[in-house]
Amino acid sequence: MIHPVDTMLALALLSILFSFGSSRLPSLIKVVGFQGIVVCIVPLFLGHGLSPESVVFSIAALCIRGILIPVCIYVAIRKAAITREVKPIVGFHASIFFGLILMVGATMASHRFDVAADHISRLFLPTAISLLGAGMFLLMARRNAIAMVLGYMVLENGIYLVGCAFSQRVSHITEFGILLDILAGVMIMAVILRNMKTTFNDLDTDRLRTLKE
Amino acid sequence: MVESIALWVLALVSAPLFAGVILKVKAFFGGRKGSPVLIHYYTLQKLFRKGSVYSHSTTFMFRLGPVISLAVAATTLFFLPMAGHRPVISFNGDVIFVLYILGLSRFFTICAAMDTASPFEGMGAAREAYFPIICEASMFMILILFYRLTHLLSFDGYLSGENPLILWKTAGPILIFVVMSLFIILLTENSRVPVDDPATHLELTMIHEVMVLDHSGPDLGLIELGSVLKLFFYSAIIARLIFPFETGVLVLNLILFYTGILVVTTVIGVVESVMARYRMDRVPKFLLTAFSLAFFATIITLEFLR
Amino acid sequence: MLEMIFLVPFIIGITAFFLPRTINRLLLVLTGMVHLFLSVAIWVNSPAAFFPAFFAVSPEGTLSLLVISLLFFLISVYTLTYIKETPIPKEKIFIGFLLLFLSTMSMATLSDHIMVLWIAIEATTLASAPLIYTHHTVSALEATWKYVLICSVGIAMALLGSILLSVSLDAGKVNAAISFSGLVAVAQSLDPRWLKAGFVFILVGYGTKMGLAPMHTWLPDAHSEAPSPVSALLSGVLLNCAYLGIFKTSKIMHAAGLSDFSGPILIIFGLISIIGAATFILRQTEYKRMLAYSSIENMGIIAVGTGIGGFAAYGAIICLIHHSLIKSSLFLTSGNILLGSGTRLIEKVNGLANRAPKNFVAFFGGFIAISGFPPFGLFLGKVIILITALKAGHFIAAGIFIFSLCVIFAGLANSVMRMSFHPADPSLPKNIPEHIGLLWPQYTLLAASIILCFWMPASLQETLVQAASTIGGGF
Repeated sequence: MIHPVDTMLALALLSILFSFGSSRLPSLIKVVGFQGIVVCIVPLFLGHGLSPESVVFSIAALCIRGILIPVCIYVAIRKAAITREVKPIVGFHASIFFGLILMVGATMASHRFDVAADHISRLFLPTAISLLGAGMFLLMARRNAIAMVLGYMVLENGIYLVGCAFSQRVSHITEFGILLDILAGVMIMAVILRNMKTTFNDLDTDRLRTLKE
Repeated sequence: MVESIALWVLALVSAPLFAGVILKVKAFFGGRKGSPVLIHYYTLQKLFRKGSVYSHSTTFMFRLGPVISLAVAATTLFFLPMAGHRPVISFNGDVIFVLYILGLSRFFTICAAMDTASPFEGMGAAREAYFPIICEASMFMILILFYRLTHLLSFDGYLSGENPLILWKTAGPILIFVVMSLFIILLTENSRVPVDDPATHLELTMIHEVMVLDHSGPDLGLIELGSVLKLFFYSAIIARLIFPFETGVLVLNLILFYTGILVVTTVIGVVESVMARYRMDRVPKFLLTAFSLAFFATIITLEFLR
Repeated sequence: MLEMIFLVPFIIGITAFFLPRTINRLLLVLTGMVHLFLSVAIWVNSPAAFFPAFFAVSPEGTLSLLVISLLFFLISVYTLTYIKETPIPKEKIFIGFLLLFLSTMSMATLSDHIMVLWIAIEATTLASAPLIYTHHTVSALEATWKYVLICSVGIAMALLGSILLSVSLDAGKVNAAISFSGLVAVAQSLDPRWLKAGFVFILVGYGTKMGLAPMHTWLPDAHSEAPSPVSALLSGVLLNCAYLGIFKTSKIMHAAGLSDFSGPILIIFGLISIIGAATFILRQTEYKRMLAYSSIENMGIIAVGTGIGGFAAYGAIICLIHHSLIKSSLFLTSGNILLGSGTRLIEKVNGLANRAPKNFVAFFGGFIAISGFPPFGLFLGKVIILITALKAGHFIAAGIFIFSLCVIFAGLANSVMRMSFHPADPSLPKNIPEHIGLLWPQYTLLAASIILCFWMPASLQETLVQAASTIGGGF
């Protein structure tokens, strides 16, 4: 365990557990932002042709995932007339246990693939799969709208790692386009959240149950 | 062997000092001068000079509790490699033995508390029985990890000489999580702040303190001594992990070891000063953090050692 | 300069945020015209792209582009009158995003690079979200939230699928561009395991956007809460763009000889959508939602057609085009009905035949068309799919297909008859005002559907066949 990528990925995995355990929105936002930073640093250590443009891209990605998006969400909930609780559907203890089981499952699942990045770090695929699962879990197991947006971000982080793990083909232009899309998506979600806040004075998605069938 | 026993005696003698350090740090954060660092020596001295008061409704169980808790705490130190020196007793599997004699001591403390038939003490006993369950799970997770790393089951194999350094080399930064987990276990087992407040005065919120309310005089002294020894025991484990170096000179090792313990106790003091006690229902989550950290470290390390 | 087609509306859309609204309205129609002109030019000339790695002309893309252009032009004309009739808050933003929406959809039709297609389709979600929230009501907020979240998460799955597709290149040890045309060219040597995984994820991802059940939950909400011109665009063109992603991936699967794997999955998703739509249409109380479920049904039919492949793929593309024409006309008319009667409930709208005869003709004509009656083109598409299904031996699928279509027809007929002929409450106004500017786009669309059923320009026919032949269609 000498490679820095391992440390990064271990931190990303740890951030999953913390995101499952955090009951307050600000801390959840911080954890997801931290996760974004860690995930964006990983490609820098992968070692294949560290061209200036890839460094610039990684830094841009880091700024967007790690700083801009969390700040954007944070601004949306600032001046909190809203409750800052995450409102779990699945309790925190159960969530943390689920996180641990998820990691074990992801590790077992990752043995079935042979991946290009495996020689760099054995943790690569388990982390990516865990992030995907974690994002889905946050989307399903939290009632608070912001927690759901953050779940979406975790999911995107996981996809980004899958992209890094498997394929070095994707050009920076398209990756940047994807990143911009995600940024714009989160911004639009943040605008919706603001409107939701002013309309309901709350971000509980239980209030969004009027449209049916 | 003589050196080991000498170190053990030194540990017994020095243990109350570190409990005093915590109080000093807390006083510093509180902006007070605080009690002297040697306060626990004075307290013990005072307590041992007094006589004991026993309620009519108690039995021999009540008197047995303090004795066993001190005996157990002293015994555990036999197995602990002080300053990287070989411990007094060591055999393969002693880790499990130590964990369970700690359980034995808890059993007798709980029995002694129940013996008084005081509802407060019963409540404290219930909590005392509940929280360590999760701690034990975390402890065993860490043991599994250490076993996978060293293929040994003794404190000697983990902590003496160069062994902690080897642990770091094989497990790497992951060991930080283990240290964090151990620290949480330490806070819980020794009834420190986010879990329990040793300075509280309300029986309803107490865990450990409430169980010893009815003890007095030398009995209380025995309990106090036992608890500082227990604190010393856990701090020493963490100290060896955060300062894993082996200098080869006993005096240097000792200085390093005691600095480590000083660091741990100072951190405890800082934690106690900056954190508030958790609500009772939040405590399991805190303990679960320890468990998940340990579990997490185990998964990751197993993945590497495959 | 292929890229002009989406750059022009993009730039105009951005500037529209800053211009006064009289100019904006003019710009909207003008852009619609220019766009129509440009897409016809692309269809005729198929010019080379400035970035050939990212964009290319494909037959299915050109077809969709033509449909988008035509619809957008007509809808922009409709919108012009619609805005005058019913005030829209923050009109600048509405028109700006309408143009951006056009730009992103055009981009989706022309993308050849897998990731660029993903970017474009995600961008359509983002550009259309503010449009759904135009009226700033609580239910619109809910619909927008569901739309953005469900579609974003769904499309994230498609991104994963796209990455897996590119993994199949690495695993198959071939070197080619990660574009659809490039992958089709080397399809045989791609690693089939990753290709299959990628297809499933892309189907789930773009299927969410396309409204395939069970990922369709956002669709009825968004379609019913959006202003009618936007509903028409969503249903008429946006779903097509998402379908394009699935179609192009099916093309790769077909070229790799994996249609045995991809076909049944598509058929199953399609049938689930049809059955789901049938159950919900039967007890629907709002007419816009009813139309939305009918969109789900048609997307299901198209998915089934694509899954069966061969001649049915040709039928699927016919369905795609005609569904766009007919459904957008229906949504526009439903907008008129909503304007006139002020309610979305079916039971509150009565006696349309007497109260608003011109709207009634457009609505009833649309209903006949969407139910698959001749002389409208949807009939042709459905019959082709059904015949091919029977020929290929998909008897159970064909049975479910026919049964569900009957149920849907019954459900639609029940509601439409009630709206049209049920004696109107005397308290309601005798006549609903009918504005000609809010009518002729629908008539044009329906007429286009009839004309295309009987006579198709040879070049259009050729493009159609080309598109279908890439997934084993054609004759």
